[in-house]
Amino acid sequence: MLSNFLSNYRSVTSLAFIVLAAVLVEFFEVRASIYPSLLPFFEWLKYSSWIGYLGITYGSVYATVQAGHLIAMAIIGGTVLVTDLRLLGVLLKDIPSESITKGTHQCFKYGLSVAIATGIFCAAGVADKVYYMPVFWIKMLALLAGSGFMFFIKQPLLNSRPHSEIGPWTLRLLAVASIFIWFTVAATGRWIGFS
Amino acid sequence: MNNSKWDDRTIAAASSSVIILGALLYYWAGEVQSTVELLELAYGSFKFFNNPMIF
Repeated sequence: MLSNFLSNYRSVTSLAFIVLAAVLVEFFEVRASIYPSLLPFFEWLKYSSWIGYLGITYGSVYATVQAGHLIAMAIIGGTVLVTDLRLLGVLLKDIPSESITKGTHQCFKYGLSVAIATGIFCAAGVADKVYYMPVFWIKMLALLAGSGFMFFIKQPLLNSRPHSEIGPWTLRLLAVASIFIWFTVAATGRWIGFS
Repeated sequence: MNNSKWDDRTIAAASSSVIILGALLYYWAGEVQSTVELLELAYGSFKFFNNPMIF
């Protein structure tokens, strides 16, 4: 019976496992015990890695890569807003939402890849600063949650059947959660820049 | 089971959306609260649209 449940509710079981793991990590203070051991890596990233060296030494290179990071973030924001506002019935109502979600997801994947690659470079230049910033870790958590939500929850559901067969409130909930989490990624990113 | 309205993917989507929204609302409400406390500490009171630079 348990194996039948697990095979029928694989996504729900995985989600419950992830939530339980997060609660246990906090309860047993695993995060707090790992945190100090990450400092040498961040110091190496800034002072010894070639991307840290490039970022510190050449301001023009740092600015150029950061421009790429902002453009990639703009692509992510654009694709998320178009998709989710369509799911909410605000934008592009004459185009089927299935076409929009499939089309924008390709663009989203490229934007996310560029944002992560350029983001590692940007973080390397200020690695010893961001290590001590709680908002940096909030951003990383939001990015991880947002990516997992997009690739393992939202897109599989939207691609699985016509959207008319999905409950309208489920679609709205998905859209609002998606907008909110990518807003948090963007806002915390700018917060790092202004700290 | 997979043909029902509340199948695996739908339940996972709805519950993860609720978890994400709850966590983010909790986080941003905490940030608003700490900002208000900081403003009260700095200026004695907090009012909407008060500009501390104008006396």
